[in-house]
This record gives sequence, structure tokens and C-alpha cells, in this order.
Amino acid sequence: MEYLIHLAIVISIYSILGLSLNLIVGYTGLLSMTQAAFYGIGAYATAIAMTSYGMNFFLAVVIGILLSALSALAIGYVLSRFDGDYFTLGSFGFNVIITAILVNWRGFTGGATGIPAIARPSLFGFTFSGNLSFLVLVLVSAVIIYFICQFIVRSSFGRVLKAIREDEKAIQVFGYNTKYYKLAIFAIGAMMASVAGAFYASYLSYISPAQFDINESAFILSIVVFGGLANNKGAIWGAAFLILLPEALQFVGFPSGIAEQLRQVVYGLALVFLMLYRPQGLVGEYKI
Amino acid sequence: MSTIKIKNLYKHFDGIKAVDHLNLSFESGKITGLIGPNGSGKSTLINLLTGVVPFDSGVVIISETTKLLRVKPYDMASFDITRTFQDVRLFEQMPVIDNILVVLTKRGIVGSLFEQHKKYHLEKAKEVLERVGLWEKRNELAADLSYGQRKLLEIARALAMNADIYFFDEPFAGLFPEIIKVVSSILKELRDKGKTVVLVEHNMELIRELSDYCIVMDSGELLAEGKPNDVLSQKAVIEAYLGE
Amino acid sequence: MSIIPQIILNSLIAGSIYSLVALGFNLIYGTTKFFNLSHGAVAVIGGYVAFYFTKSLGFGIIISAILGIFAAGFLGYFLDRFVFRKLRQKKASNMVFLISSLGLMIALQAVTALLFTSNFQIFSSQFTSYQIFGGVITQVEVIIFISAALISVGLFLLLKKTRWGRTVRAISDDEEVSKIVGIDTNKVISQVFFIGSAIAGLSGVLSGLDIGLEPTMGLLLLFKGVIAAVIGGVGNVYGGVLGAFLLAFVENFGIWGVSAEWKDVISFGLLIIFLLFRPQGILKK
Repeated sequence: MEYLIHLAIVISIYSILGLSLNLIVGYTGLLSMTQAAFYGIGAYATAIAMTSYGMNFFLAVVIGILLSALSALAIGYVLSRFDGDYFTLGSFGFNVIITAILVNWRGFTGGATGIPAIARPSLFGFTFSGNLSFLVLVLVSAVIIYFICQFIVRSSFGRVLKAIREDEKAIQVFGYNTKYYKLAIFAIGAMMASVAGAFYASYLSYISPAQFDINESAFILSIVVFGGLANNKGAIWGAAFLILLPEALQFVGFPSGIAEQLRQVVYGLALVFLMLYRPQGLVGEYKI
Repeated sequence: MSTIKIKNLYKHFDGIKAVDHLNLSFESGKITGLIGPNGSGKSTLINLLTGVVPFDSGVVIISETTKLLRVKPYDMASFDITRTFQDVRLFEQMPVIDNILVVLTKRGIVGSLFEQHKKYHLEKAKEVLERVGLWEKRNELAADLSYGQRKLLEIARALAMNADIYFFDEPFAGLFPEIIKVVSSILKELRDKGKTVVLVEHNMELIRELSDYCIVMDSGELLAEGKPNDVLSQKAVIEAYLGE
Repeated sequence: MSIIPQIILNSLIAGSIYSLVALGFNLIYGTTKFFNLSHGAVAVIGGYVAFYFTKSLGFGIIISAILGIFAAGFLGYFLDRFVFRKLRQKKASNMVFLISSLGLMIALQAVTALLFTSNFQIFSSQFTSYQIFGGVITQVEVIIFISAALISVGLFLLLKKTRWGRTVRAISDDEEVSKIVGIDTNKVISQVFFIGSAIAGLSGVLSGLDIGLEPTMGLLLLFKGVIAAVIGGVGNVYGGVLGAFLLAFVENFGIWGVSAEWKDVISFGLLIIFLLFRPQGILKK
């Protein structure tokens, strides 16, 4: 049972990540490979605020959100000068840079060894130290974020994002300054990813830079492509599928180290098959 | 009503003078046919005037009052200028109705997030879609429409903008006669409302039938202008077409 | 005691490795026009195949290296034949190609880790070192430098002076027109993949011999090559070489003042700067 709760927590966290990136990739058509950077900024902001400054978890989350929003605006501004493949390349670059900063700014971030002993959230005297209570907290947050995503994509704003994805030049001709829209959704996605990072940090109680590098960005992208682009439920299905896969493999008998690699083989190949035969993913609405 | 005038407009690509110090004006309440052989610069001119491509030098004057030395793509809509594309640029994986709604709704980020006038926009969308006969197909994806329907959707989208100046880039290409009638009547309606309508076309019959005034371009320059029948019988114009 | 000569030597070596990656990447990119993220994984597999033959089967170093290079070549060929060619036939968008190559990279990397563990592996350790101009350089590193020079020249001759090279350049310029003229573009592109991947395999083998092997090193290696290509002008084969050495020098001199861990930040910072101010690279195509 404890184990199921653990899985549910992880799936919830990755659902938030998937939802956040889907807004950027699936709805707006920006192939961003730097989502893990914002995930990391949220995690580190929470960790540092709680361990070095004794802040309350919820306050730390807000700080993380602000920090990631600012970073996203800065990074997004530079990236908005790039088109297509160069955008992706540039985003990769930013992820590498942020990971390097996390590793090298030893005094502040604890360097490659990371930050240990991050506490669980507490509010009005109640601490979410039990996994079940923590799950409820994450789940509620995930649901809220899901509804925020639904609201965004169903609004006129969401319609503009899709038009940008379909033909950015054309929608510009009809009077839209698309740069601002792209920046806005990039920042919104980053803020959501940082919330996931905050939960991750508190749950694991220990974080290190290696958990937020480009491989993680690739994994988050895989969740979105798998579940299906431009479908919020798809992001959740994608997260569930990719998290449960190595568990299933371990269940069948593969040892955990092998299961991890095997998971990557499976979802790597699955990505290829999807691109060849089902580019809309499991339940997606957008065929790349 | 708005007019659009250009002075000394210049644009070059890789050494080719696509638009070479062009001077002309498009008047309101008229359908102006813009013709010329392939490569004469017609589409480039429209791209310059709708902000799709920046021009190198020259001035664009709107309604005698607004002088523009540079244009950004999203600015031109605010000057009540809109267009259709020769190579039909729709929002493919969005339904027909969304293709229209997206040009009707609020332009600002916060405004569009908390859009207020949904009912009003729906009514306007219904209006233009019914005008082109696509209201029944409103929930189909643009990508699933037939060629003729796609061209009609482009026109509906332009109509939805409720602009003053319209550029139609080969709207009749490949259309069946029934649809040609629909499009022709739309252009005439716009003209009768006093709008400035510019029509790029290769079909000379339609040019003769529809345009009040004709402008002929060749190699980025103005070759001739005047009433369609006069212009089309000029030796230089005929030679330009034969030589292409 | 100046360490400048050593830094210069290090730059030349790093530049040579990056050149090889850039050369292979540019060759393939020229005909396919998408960022193939699996290119780095193919390079590393070349290195691991050589490692396997020499460490586990006891083959000679040179034979193992050649086997590694061919393995990489064939792998690249198969990837094109069974994945990328199909995507070309479907007229897939660049995003699809990129994601497919990402999937391949992930899978290949994981397979490598399964077969050889994620640990850092070193080939046999005894290589002679030489002293040149006040710096130290190993035997392998000399070979790296010579290989880069030979492959650059070889590729130049291949592309400029042979019929095959002309065909490749035609496809680079315009694939559709090439087909119309009667060129079997799919066959030639697969051949390009073979050669480009073989060159990548060479870079993987040499990198492994020089530093060591690790399943995840492919991505970073690829990126150095891509940065070199962007700096030099993507698709321009010689530009990649120029970019590679420029990158290597900026990296190695850049970390002279700060700690070596900032190296990647410097490389990617350079990438961002070029993308912002001169995206077409130094040399035009």
C-alpha cells in the first residue's frame, strides 16, 4: 500500500510536469528541451528557502514560482529569436547552463552533492510527514493545475496559441504580437514545473543537480509526446505510463538498475514508433 | 474610408529587385486589379503591404495621414488592412469555426485569457461562415476541407476582420464556377460598401469583369495603369505576358 | 613556467575531436536537414565496439578501432534505412525527425549501458607521451590530430572531386530537383549516413582511447560538434572544422581563469551568442 502511495505521488508530480510542457510543446508548438531547468529551479528554491532560511514550504513554493517565471522570461526572450530546430538547440543549451550553475555555485546550492534534509510541508501546525497526507497535497495541486490548463486551452488565449503552432506568420498578419504569447506560455509552463520541483524536493528530502539535467528534460518531453500532444489528460496518461513501466518491468523480475535502462530502451523505441505510426501519441489531438 | 499609397517602395532579394522604387495608390470604393507576369513582384508587393516581409526603403501612406517607414506584421491589422494568401494559409489542425474566432477575439494576453464577448464573436463567425456557405462545416478541421472550401474559409477569415483595405491574392485559382460566383459577389459587396479592394489574378476574364481599375507590374516596376480594357489592349502589356 | 603551450595543445586535440564530430554531422545534415540527436550515440557505440574487441576479445587496437568505425557506419546506415527514410517518405516535419532521433538516442544510450554498465571504462592504459613545445601530448592525441586532418582533406576531396561527391552536393542543394534529374536520393543518403556515422565512430573510438568511455557521453560530444557546426556555418563541411577549433580554443582558454567545470557553460554560451548574432555561422554555405 505504501508502495502504491509512493507511485501515486511520483505520477502526480510528473503529471504536473507533463501538463506544464504540453502547454508549450503541444499547444504552442515550441519544442522546448529545457523544462527540467525550471523543475530544478523550483526544487532548489524550495530546498534553499527551507533549509537555509527556515521558510515555510508554501512560502518557498511561491518564491520558486517567481524565480522560475523570471528565468523563463529571460530565457524565453533569448529563445524567441530562434526558429524551429535552433529554438530546440538553444533550449538544450540553457538547460546545460542552468545545470552547470547548480553544480558550480557551490556556496549557494551545495554543488554536485546537492542539498539534503529538506523537510515536509507544514501548515498551521500540521506537517505532511505521512506519505498519504503528502499524496493528498500533491494530488490536489495536480488537479488544480489540470483545471488551470483546461481553462487556458479553452480560452481565446489558448486558441491563439494553437494558431501560433499552426502558422505563426499567418496569425501575426491578423494582428497578434506572437512573441508576447510565446513568452507568456513559456513562463506559465515554467511556473507549473517549479511547483512540481518543490514537491519533489520535499518528498525526496534530498536533491542534486544531476536530477534536473537534459536527460530529465528529454524524459518530460517523452511523457508529453507519449500521452499525446495538445491533450491535457494525455499528459497525465503519459506520466502514468512512463512511471509505471519500470515498476512493471521490476515486477516481472528485472533488477532495479536494469529496469531503469530497460525503461529507457522501451520508451526510446516507443517514441520512434509513435513518430512513424502514431504521431498523435496515446490520446493526443495534434499530429506533429 | 482608407486608401493606401506607396512612394518609392523598394525591396530586393539576393540581388533581384523584387519591387523597384514603385509609386502607386489603391483607391477606396474600387476593385483594383493587380496583374503582371509571374515574377513581376505582385505577391511581394502584397507581402510588403501586409507586413509579411519588411521593405528596404520607401514610404507606405495610409489614408493620407499615416506614414510608415517600416511595418511589423501585427501592425497592419491595426491599420484595418487584411488579406488572403495565394498558397492558402489556414490553421490546419483547428476546426473551421476556430479559424474564424481566432481573428475575432481580443488581441491582448490578459484580455484573451478572460474573454468576455463570446456570444458576440460566435454571431459574427456565423455571419461570415454563412456568407461563404461553410457554417454547416464549422466543426470540421480546416485540413479536412476540399480545396474550394479552403479558399472560401480564407475569404471568410478576411471578412471577419471587418477591415477597410483587402488584398486578395489569387482567390479564384482552381475554383468551380459556382464558387467563383460567390467570391465575385463578395468582392463586389465590399467595393459597394466603399472598401479598398485589391485583387491579384491571372484570369483576365475575371479582371475585366470585376476590376474598376487596373495596375500592371513587370519586373518590380509599374508597367501600365488605367481602365482594364485599355490596359489589357496595350502592346507593352501583351508583350510582357507573352515574353514570360 | 607558462602553461600556454599545454593549453594550445589541449585546444588542438579537443578541436580535432570536435572537428570529426562536426564533419560527420555536417555531411549528414547537408542531405537530411534535421538535427540528428542520435549521431552522438552512434559515435559512442563505435567506441564501445572497439573497446569490446580489444578488452574482451583481445584483438589488436588498430583492428578493434576499424571494427568500431565500421560498426558505427553500419548502425548509422540502418537507422537511416529503417527509420529516417520512412519518415522522409511520409514527408514528416522537422519536429518528428528530431523526436525520432531523440528516441533513438535514448534507446541506444540505454542499450549501451545495459551491455557495458554505466561505469566509466578505460581502454588499455599505456600510451607513450611526447614533449612538444613545452607541453605534453600522448600518442593517441597525435593520432587524433592527424586523423582529423586526414578526414577533413579526404572529405574535401570526396565531395569536390568525385562524381559521388557531386551527387551528394546536388542533394544538399535541392533534394526534389535531384530526384527529378534521376538521382536515387534514398540510396545516396543512406551512403552518406554510413560515411558520416563511420566518421562519428572514429571520433568515439579516439575519444574513448584518449579520455575513456561512458554511455551518456554521446550527447555532449554531439553538442560540441553541433556548436562547432553552427559557429562555422551549418552544412558547410569546412566551416565545421573552423568552428571546432574556435570552440576548443575558447573553451580551453576560457577555463584558464575559472574552474574547469564551467567549460560547458562557455561552450553553450558561445552557441547562444552565435545564434543571436550570427546564426548563419562564420562561413557561408
